[in-house]
Amino acid sequence: MDFKKHTLDNGLAIIGEVNKEAQSSAVGFFVKTGSRDETREINGVSHFLEHMLFKGTERLSAFAVNEAFDRTGAKFNAFTGEENTVYWAAVLPEYLSEVIKLWTEMLRPALRKEDFEIEKNVIKEEIAMYLDLPHFDVMEKCKELHFRGHPCGMSVLGTNESITNLTIEQMRDYFSKRYSPNNMVLVCAGNFEWEQLCSLGQAGCSHWQSRENSRNIEFISGSKEKKREQKANLTREHICLFSPSVSQQDERLFGAMLLAVIIGDDVGSRFYWELVDKALAETATMQLGAMDGVGIFCSYIRCSPENAGRVNEVIRQILEEIAVNGVAEAELQKSKNKVLSLLTIRNELPMGRLIDLGRNWLYLEKYRTIEDDIDSIKAVTLKDIRELIKEFKPWEFTRLSIGPSQGI
Amino acid sequence: MSEKLDKHILANGMVILGEPMEAVRSVAFGFMLPSGAARLPDGCGGAGNVISDLIFRGAGKRDSRELINDLDGLGLHRSSGIGSSHMTIGAALESENLRPALELYADIILRPKLDSEQFKLSKELAVQALLGLDDDPRGKVGLKLREQFYPQPWGRSPMGSEDELRKLTAEKAEEIIKQSLDPGQMIFSVAGKYDFDKVCSQLEKLFAETPQDGLQEVTPGQKGKRYVHEQHDGAQVHIGVMTATVPVSNKDYYDARAAVSVLSGGMSARLFTEVREKRGLCYAIGAQYNSLKEMAGIVCYAGTTPEKAQETLDVILREFNRLAEGVSEEEIERARVKLKSALVMESESSSSRAGGIAGDYYLLGRVRRLSEIKEKIEERTVDSVLSFLRNNRFRDFTVVTIGPIDVKMRD
Repeated sequence: MDFKKHTLDNGLAIIGEVNKEAQSSAVGFFVKTGSRDETREINGVSHFLEHMLFKGTERLSAFAVNEAFDRTGAKFNAFTGEENTVYWAAVLPEYLSEVIKLWTEMLRPALRKEDFEIEKNVIKEEIAMYLDLPHFDVMEKCKELHFRGHPCGMSVLGTNESITNLTIEQMRDYFSKRYSPNNMVLVCAGNFEWEQLCSLGQAGCSHWQSRENSRNIEFISGSKEKKREQKANLTREHICLFSPSVSQQDERLFGAMLLAVIIGDDVGSRFYWELVDKALAETATMQLGAMDGVGIFCSYIRCSPENAGRVNEVIRQILEEIAVNGVAEAELQKSKNKVLSLLTIRNELPMGRLIDLGRNWLYLEKYRTIEDDIDSIKAVTLKDIRELIKEFKPWEFTRLSIGPSQGI
Repeated sequence: MSEKLDKHILANGMVILGEPMEAVRSVAFGFMLPSGAARLPDGCGGAGNVISDLIFRGAGKRDSRELINDLDGLGLHRSSGIGSSHMTIGAALESENLRPALELYADIILRPKLDSEQFKLSKELAVQALLGLDDDPRGKVGLKLREQFYPQPWGRSPMGSEDELRKLTAEKAEEIIKQSLDPGQMIFSVAGKYDFDKVCSQLEKLFAETPQDGLQEVTPGQKGKRYVHEQHDGAQVHIGVMTATVPVSNKDYYDARAAVSVLSGGMSARLFTEVREKRGLCYAIGAQYNSLKEMAGIVCYAGTTPEKAQETLDVILREFNRLAEGVSEEEIERARVKLKSALVMESESSSSRAGGIAGDYYLLGRVRRLSEIKEKIEERTVDSVLSFLRNNRFRDFTVVTIGPIDVKMRD
């Protein structure tokens, strides 16, 4: 593996990790913008803008973009979150330059009003789709409750109302502020030629104008409120818990990741043995959500409405037990083995590598090898875990549940 | 995908397949056990879901906790799936742990403890998962669609019914496990970094004594209804459409795959263009090829708000029917590139390859190599795809909707 880096005069970083053994390559633009960079008025604009990039440029129509991509046989898409928007493609090396040219062109979209109006319908369909997926719905609502008053609580999709009222001018304005070359990175992983990536980046992006950007990255420990909502069409209780954790920049990132695995991996964790193994809940997991300057432990539990009271009581006991007695060495070791093997498997694919490279660059402006990550994971001690538990108190959480009318 | 395939058949008939991958440190393996949903005795729907949980609750000398701890200690990532014909259990892990992992899996398959208290818990989880489907209309529409489309029992849902699950006893579950241990119907596959001779001699020792009970042949019965609607007061109408096409073993298989690719192989394909790009009817729209051994279908899903549901279905059916009227050279070229690229990219994942070679062996009785598939894809032309479509018109569509309103099936 060979790491390369170059920065254009306008501030666009280009990074790559070359692996000549790979059969394919992955390329992506990682833009440091998401729902937390929006205001209420334009909520959902980051995600809607991501859709609009596929509607083409002054030169290319939406149909031309789709055909050009499909001619390369690439697997390609984009995703938007609270703080990043990522445009990616996995492709065979012989088609890579074509795909890079397409992305660089598309990153300066036409943002046509007629496309904007048609795509509004698609965005509203996506909002409707997530309403029918209660495990997403409950997390969105819990996020809002936990981060109340903090920009991280904003919905990624926005609401029917904010999307209806959004104008193309507001989107163009947001675009010119946030899609500044110094606010993004072009990343490549797998089998590719570094010089070629740089010259395509130079040719496609060097005329982009830079603008000043900022983001409020204040830490917040969350509202710790508890709330239940009823929804007549549901049959299960969907429970979501948010509690504070480390940020992406925190050196204790891997320790917090292991703690989440110990408490809530889908198998063999504390949640697993007390809730799933005993058939109190059908699923019960915890994950680390480390973000820019803030972080959360996020848990999702699904159970029957009759079991919900008991499940909440058992969760309280599990976290209390951890507060009092900490975790065992054997648990820590197992969690390390699981995380390490997943790291190996994920990084065997250029796409998996791309995501790690881009994320490390956006948050740390650093290159980390797989070995760096392996070393950091191996170095986590029981003392580290104890201190994380003491500082972040996972038993002090925000809880939102959604379930049928006759529940708790 | 390398051109090398390892293959060995044990004296008792168990097939062992391997695909070595130079560039990886991981290994993935899977056991295809002949206990898919269609092979369960009548009235035992959902038993597969109970069994796939139960066999991990203690096996050989280990109780439930010891077994899970040892699996976790190997850093192993479990996978399991229940298809029509087989239940597959497997894992991906770092290659140096393959040997102890196979020891544990032999216990899980051959010597599960089947403790009666644990059985109750596995059954309760299976009931919960089934009831949870009501909160997942998209997932449910896919299962109901297969149920209506494939002649019974091939379309059976692996989730079963609540009634069947409640009636299932520990004794019956044990009987099903025993019956499905026919080594002549078992396929083991491994891909990534491994030593094939060592794998074979280990499996020989572990599985040589497996009793051969012999499986019942599955006789296909009636197909389900042409249209089924389930009332659900959600935000969208979830629409599933399925129509027949040729299975993998058919000489026209690659033409069928190219046709599906023209319909839904990417964002420039017909369904995405007509339903989403031009009309803004849906966010999620797509069609996929789906094959059993003897029969196959094209499965299409769309989710849309109620007022757009009828138009969405009409546009989808029109696009299916319009295919045989003509496809362009560019569309076929895009289909060829897409299918070939997907093949190469899939070859980088040990899990995909372990699943792929076992699936091929079951469906075709042999494993296709990369060069063969590439060649077949390259041979597709506008004429070959069109003549396939004209000789195999889409006639019958099975449609399932779940949502606040139903739709009209027009002829």
